[in-house]
Amino acid sequence: MIVTILDVVIAGLLMGGIYALVAVGLSLQYGVARVLNVAHGEFIMLGAFITWSLYTMAGINPLVSLIICGPTVFIIGFVLYRAVFTRLRTSSASPAAFEGNSMLACFGLLFIIQNVAILIWGADIKGYTFLAFPVNFWGAVFAANRLVTLVFALVIGAVFYLFLARTRLGKGIRAAAQDPGTAGLVGVNINQVLALCFGFGALMAGLGGTLISMSYKIQPTMGLEYTIIALIVIVLGGLGSIPGSFIGGFILGLVGSIVTYIEPGLALVAYYVIFILLLLARPTGILGK
Amino acid sequence: MKHKVLAGSFVLVAVAVFLVGVSATNSLAKDKIRIGQAIALSGPLAGGVAIAGGRIYVMWVEEVNKNGGIYVKEYGKKLPVELIRYDDKSDIGTMTKLLEKLILEDKVDFVFPPWGTAWLYAAAPVANKYGYILIGGPGGALKLKELSLPYFFQVLNFSETQAPALADIFKEVGVKSVAIIYRGDLHGVEYGEAMVPYFEKRGIEVKMKKSYPPGIKDLSPLLKEAKSLGVDAFCAASYPPGGMLLTGQAIELGINFNAFFITVTPFSPNLYRDTFGKDVVEGVMGGGAWNAKTSPGAKEFVDKFVARFGMEPDYWGGLYYWSSLQHFQQAIEQAGTLDQKKIRDIMAKKKFNTALGPFWYDKDRYFVNHPGEIGQWQKGVFEVIDPGKKRTAPPLYPKPAWPKK
Repeated sequence: MIVTILDVVIAGLLMGGIYALVAVGLSLQYGVARVLNVAHGEFIMLGAFITWSLYTMAGINPLVSLIICGPTVFIIGFVLYRAVFTRLRTSSASPAAFEGNSMLACFGLLFIIQNVAILIWGADIKGYTFLAFPVNFWGAVFAANRLVTLVFALVIGAVFYLFLARTRLGKGIRAAAQDPGTAGLVGVNINQVLALCFGFGALMAGLGGTLISMSYKIQPTMGLEYTIIALIVIVLGGLGSIPGSFIGGFILGLVGSIVTYIEPGLALVAYYVIFILLLLARPTGILGK
Repeated sequence: MKHKVLAGSFVLVAVAVFLVGVSATNSLAKDKIRIGQAIALSGPLAGGVAIAGGRIYVMWVEEVNKNGGIYVKEYGKKLPVELIRYDDKSDIGTMTKLLEKLILEDKVDFVFPPWGTAWLYAAAPVANKYGYILIGGPGGALKLKELSLPYFFQVLNFSETQAPALADIFKEVGVKSVAIIYRGDLHGVEYGEAMVPYFEKRGIEVKMKKSYPPGIKDLSPLLKEAKSLGVDAFCAASYPPGGMLLTGQAIELGINFNAFFITVTPFSPNLYRDTFGKDVVEGVMGGGAWNAKTSPGAKEFVDKFVARFGMEPDYWGGLYYWSSLQHFQQAIEQAGTLDQKKIRDIMAKKKFNTALGPFWYDKDRYFVNHPGEIGQWQKGVFEVIDPGKKRTAPPLYPKPAWPKK
């Protein structure tokens, strides 16, 4: 019995860690930069494929790839924001119009990135084996790569939280999230900060992709399912809140794990049930303001 | 003013070119056979299309054109074949719309099947409605037999013949109990749930039977539950994403069964054998099956495929689809026309020689001369382990444990 409970709870936490990491980036992009980036999953896919290429072609350890993937995807995100979204933001009549326009642009981005990936890597499923051995917790057994993923997700989340809370740039980002107009007036370079924000969101997606590729097989069209999960998690946890994303991720992971234990056929249904219940009961999310 | 003249003349030229183009296709004699296919080139199924079946159609078209085309008596010459492909984005509704567009707007001469059991099930009535022959590719459903659509031909084998073969193999090697998990869609029902009565009839106890949703991210609870029930064999009806996840998790967690069977995925030498490694997949069973030892034509087909794509074909449907197209070509040539009805009648009755040997359909227009039902990886070869003549190697039981890292 105890083993079963451990099994279900730890499996839920492991899943939740991945969900949280996937959601943090989107939370930042939507919560601060006001871009509902439906191509978020595509950045995860890019991170996963870069890791796969480095591992299978150059034998580079996926954990080392974190240092390569993160910055690469960050630069892509940053440049994209400066090239596309800054323009869109200044030319849109209102913040609401910008949200609509930028979402449409992201749809385009989704198809472009996905198809470029299909051209480069082909549509097939790819994968590699890394840290694929069992780790035993008082009888409950889990894969080492998933445990490593959880640890890294927590560390990355914590580092990022401290960055936002303690540094000057982090304060600038938070100011921009609360009131971009006033933040601009008091000397925050708003275009720069929003672009950085979008870039950091992409960076989190890239890191997520690297970690995901350690325990999942990957394909160029894998992005959308992660985007959807990320959307549910940030609505659950509250927009723009990093602890919120983690709480939302863990709730989703645990519920999924418990429901899978009882009736696997309903696992995904459960996610949407929570989603709807929360929208009805607390539309701003658990930690939303 | 100058701009307007320029623009006006441009429009005129464009219209003229368009009109000439239209009249050319309408009035001139037929110069090629156009075949349409709505299939998943993106979305979750695209990976499956890439490793199983998708390339066979491309290769067949190339092969036909290399020989100058298909001889059609009505036109007194060989007509090259053109394949027009649309991406259904792994969506059934999009697929049926595109299929209708191919038939009604593009007016293609023939259609090729989409990918996947549920997709095939949706496509067959559409093609049949317009009197288009549909030779089933990847996918198969008992439910289609009940509909008895005159223009639909089933090529791939499915639970009807695979489940009894698997149950016979299990009985032969001494499996006493099984756990079955299956994808929560038509594939799962047709290939997974359908196994149960065959096991029960042979006295094999089904201790667990559960479905899972296609997008699930963690299948380890199902593996653990099956292990705790102490079953001899673990069977899964899944598509490549589930099959890869399941195998990966079984290896990571070191969960071993005496027999490990997955419907779709193990048949792929590229995706399955080469991703996990030849030694790791030793003893894994999968739906299928054939290999280069099946027939001289099979060997030739493997060689051609490797030369063209730099990888081996899939060892479930690859040879089935290839041979069905060879049968189709001979039926067209014998009919001497592109008339669907006449070709259909020949296809339904005639036996032609193909890469897998003689190829014909039964009274329900189901292909019956399967090269094999169940395969098992043994030293890097997907051996056919069916009881009887088709066996290329005896079953390996119990399956060796996953190698420790």
